[in-house]
Amino acid sequence: MTFTLILEQIFNGLQAGVTLFLVAAGLTLILGVMNFVFLAHGAQVMIGAYAAAAITNATGQFFLGILLAVPVTFASGYLLEILIIRHLYRRDHMEQVLATFGLILFFNEAIRIGFGPAALFSDLPPSLSGFVEILPDVPYPAFRLWVIVVGLCCALAIGLFVSRTRTGAMLRAGAENPEMAAALGVNIKMLFRLIFAAGACLAGVAGMMIGPLTAVQSGMGEPLLILSLVVIIIGGIGSVRGAFIAAIIVGLVDTVGRVFLPSLLRLFFDQATADGAGPALASMLVYILMAVILIFRPTGLFPAKGRG
Amino acid sequence: MNTAISTFLMIVLSGIRAHKILWVLIAGFGLFPLFTHLADLPFWNDLAMRIMLLSIAAIGLNLVLGYGGMVSFGHAAFIGIGAYCVGISQHYGLMNGWLHILFSLSACSAIGLVIGILALRTSGIYFIMITLGFAQMLFFLFVSLEGFGGDDGMSIDRAEFGFIDLYEPLRLYFLIWVVFVCVGLMMMVIVRSRFGVTLQAIKSNETRIEAMGLVPLHYKLASYLISAMICGVAGTLFANWQEYVSPDIMHWTRSGELMIIIILGGLGTLVGPVLGAIAFLLLEEFLPLLLEVIWPAYAENWMIIFGPLLVLVVLFGRGGLVGLAQRAMARVNRSFNSGERP
Amino acid sequence: MKKSAFIGALMAAITATPVFGETVKIGYMTTLSGGAGITGTQMKQGVELAMDHMENKLGGMDAEVIFVDDQRKPDVAKQLANRLLKSDRVDIVAGVIWSNLLMAIHKPVTRSGKLLISSNAGPSPIAGENCHQNFFSLSWQNDQTPEAMGKHMQDAGVKSVYLMAPNYQAGKDMLTGFKRYYTGEVVAEIYTKLGQTDFQAELSALRAAQPETTMIFQPGGMGINFVKQWKQAGMDSVSKLYSVFTVDAVTLPALQDAGLGILGTQTWSADIDNPINNKFVADFKAKYGGYPSYYAAQAYDTMLAIDYAIGKAGSKDADKMGEILAAGNIPTTRGNLQMNSNHFPIQNIYLRETVKDDDGVVTARIVETVFENHADSYAQYCSF
Repeated sequence: MTFTLILEQIFNGLQAGVTLFLVAAGLTLILGVMNFVFLAHGAQVMIGAYAAAAITNATGQFFLGILLAVPVTFASGYLLEILIIRHLYRRDHMEQVLATFGLILFFNEAIRIGFGPAALFSDLPPSLSGFVEILPDVPYPAFRLWVIVVGLCCALAIGLFVSRTRTGAMLRAGAENPEMAAALGVNIKMLFRLIFAAGACLAGVAGMMIGPLTAVQSGMGEPLLILSLVVIIIGGIGSVRGAFIAAIIVGLVDTVGRVFLPSLLRLFFDQATADGAGPALASMLVYILMAVILIFRPTGLFPAKGRG
Repeated sequence: MNTAISTFLMIVLSGIRAHKILWVLIAGFGLFPLFTHLADLPFWNDLAMRIMLLSIAAIGLNLVLGYGGMVSFGHAAFIGIGAYCVGISQHYGLMNGWLHILFSLSACSAIGLVIGILALRTSGIYFIMITLGFAQMLFFLFVSLEGFGGDDGMSIDRAEFGFIDLYEPLRLYFLIWVVFVCVGLMMMVIVRSRFGVTLQAIKSNETRIEAMGLVPLHYKLASYLISAMICGVAGTLFANWQEYVSPDIMHWTRSGELMIIIILGGLGTLVGPVLGAIAFLLLEEFLPLLLEVIWPAYAENWMIIFGPLLVLVVLFGRGGLVGLAQRAMARVNRSFNSGERP
Repeated sequence: MKKSAFIGALMAAITATPVFGETVKIGYMTTLSGGAGITGTQMKQGVELAMDHMENKLGGMDAEVIFVDDQRKPDVAKQLANRLLKSDRVDIVAGVIWSNLLMAIHKPVTRSGKLLISSNAGPSPIAGENCHQNFFSLSWQNDQTPEAMGKHMQDAGVKSVYLMAPNYQAGKDMLTGFKRYYTGEVVAEIYTKLGQTDFQAELSALRAAQPETTMIFQPGGMGINFVKQWKQAGMDSVSKLYSVFTVDAVTLPALQDAGLGILGTQTWSADIDNPINNKFVADFKAKYGGYPSYYAAQAYDTMLAIDYAIGKAGSKDADKMGEILAAGNIPTTRGNLQMNSNHFPIQNIYLRETVKDDDGVVTARIVETVFENHADSYAQYCSF
């Protein structure tokens, strides 16, 4: 258990965390401001990854792929809102669950029809496939470092936007008290549309970041969706700041936890039990964390609507 | 004693009159094997058994989801626990079916109590997530239990219920049917009782109930336990039907499917879960066949129709299939009545 | 010749020849929809190619193959098995990708008196204590392939290995099989989460441990993720990577060059040189535009085996077909396949390396034969 290993794992946790944040940010606003349960958020991740990979493969240019994929995902979110989502705001949560579940099936299948069931080939850009020595003798993949930087920049940008701009203020007002915000003349329709599209765009960016690292295939967004739900619960619904802090915590716990838990267990139990229980416990770790936090703070750490 | 029995019978009879569709369907399932025997389509009994099992579980979940307003995303875990009670008991040589049901009821109520007490401290989306969290923990637990097959699962022999040999062709079918009838009756009585009415009142206005001096948590917890036990029994019977149990049975997507079925059928209605189960399994069965006929190249992608179908049901069908049926009947009545006007 | 003897001989002649006009029905179950559909599609293609080659006849009889999609769900599989047996009245149920689905349908199908032939899954209970004479495997027993990897690494003088597999039954079986033949040092035995997509944390820990070699089992999407990230993290300079069931014709199109140089063991390879395999690979590439995977080869072999069994038995009676299959010597893409007493194949297992072929397409080639006529380790627990 060397210092360099721990440092490397912290970076890994950060990278996982910022990726989660990109997905969770949109989700927490959609749920908090619009009170809409959008289960198909994982599909937005998938759309972003596919758009970027397809454009990159066609043009041979990675950064062009990302640049063009961003407006594509924004547009897909925008269109989805206009065509279907806006009709569902007044429905109850359960019906929203049913409809968005149907959307997940639709998107997954549409991708399968359009691109085939096999995973799409996507790779790192040559300029970012090297290593950066974060400490002497600790080479860290340049691409992952880039993901951390992009994620943090996005977080900063969103944070500034939410706290320093007028639209941001409207957003916060909407999260805290939607009826009052509407009464005060905020154009709720347009606000909702933009939030939705922006959330989709952020999720798409997350997809574009992980595309080169993982398999770009149908259903790739669902694992991230579940984890993001955990993140926004821990962070508190409607709070972007909460989503960020929770995402980093979850990213670190999940990453560092899985690697060090078996060794930790070995301190207390014999090898066989530790090796048997370790992986199982590691998969449950994030859920245990969520359950514990909810028991003491039933509305998460930084809920927009205040405690209680 | 006599008056108690006669009042009970009156409640049941009035209930049956009020929920005709449900009882027609249940009777239909009872007569179904006759039909399959005459039409020489015996394998359809399998589909009917799956629908009944799913209906039983859905009726259980509907108590907390539809009537209680508690969105539990982890109920598939109870189905799984019920199924594993059979597997684990058989692993240790206990073949008696009644014992399996007893274990299932105890395990589900014990685990349901723990999860319920912890989860019911929260509400809304937080409640959804914490129930999901617990279900995930149980799932990963069973995947890692090598002694019980891990995720390869365990093979199961049909249990011995004493005088009933479940390997005889229709015995299992009617065992499931009898449980279906009992659960239907039980739910009908609960929902029409003071307990049920209070539960629904809590769903619409919890503070008012508190002001009346009642403790909502007790009602919620009780209904959570009852629903857990019903799902557990469904799981036990399911293990007997499938002759196999594996952790997939408690994957979060199965909980999602259960919720979809109830919402599709009609939340907070007695017959909704049953209609939803029928619709869901029939679609799963026939949509691929339909696509084979009209668009064979894409037959495997039948979910591309299923997905939007669900969206359409929500957009145009308030209250699920039950709502649709009610509106259709109302329209028929209206045109019937207007036609009668001289 | 006595009259009775003559009639006897005539009867024998009649019953020995295939009965024309009779149809044999095969129920073929795989996963065609959903995320794992790619594997099922390969198997379906293998079956269809076989039927093309045999002109839709098996053992001389007209044959009909009914494909069903199990959606990777045990309850759907069970219902489909029942339907195939009772409604479609198939003579044989075959296919099945996943071990858990095979476990689910094993008893109902074998109990019905029909043959169950697996084109892929091979869980140990079915090879051992829960074996049944109506079951035949035309693929392998799950442990055989990792056993070969263990033997190779042992023989190659590998001193230490870092093991990684997903935390589910197949993962544990793989590593158990590996350790049966490898007796060197196991630096670590890591079980990752099923369905995990990001292995960076595990790779960091691996780098810190600096093991001589690393052996992984990460099937499907998990394999694509792992290998990509392994290469991206430059791990080749830290440790030598070996794998089982991770790099194959299904995952290579997504990996491309990232898969190059990785060693793996497998019971089949596209470059096994015999007339049946050469024809299979060439026609598969021509018809479907890519190398077949072992899934497709095993599916193809299943149909060849059925053709052989019916042809030699002269009937589609389950017991007679079973006798023929149990006797072995079945002509397949892997040569003449022999059968163990528990109806699992006794076969060669090869060490293969991922290379680029003359057309620049990434594929795997045989480096050496690790085991000749290797039997599985569970037959001793099986008695019919």
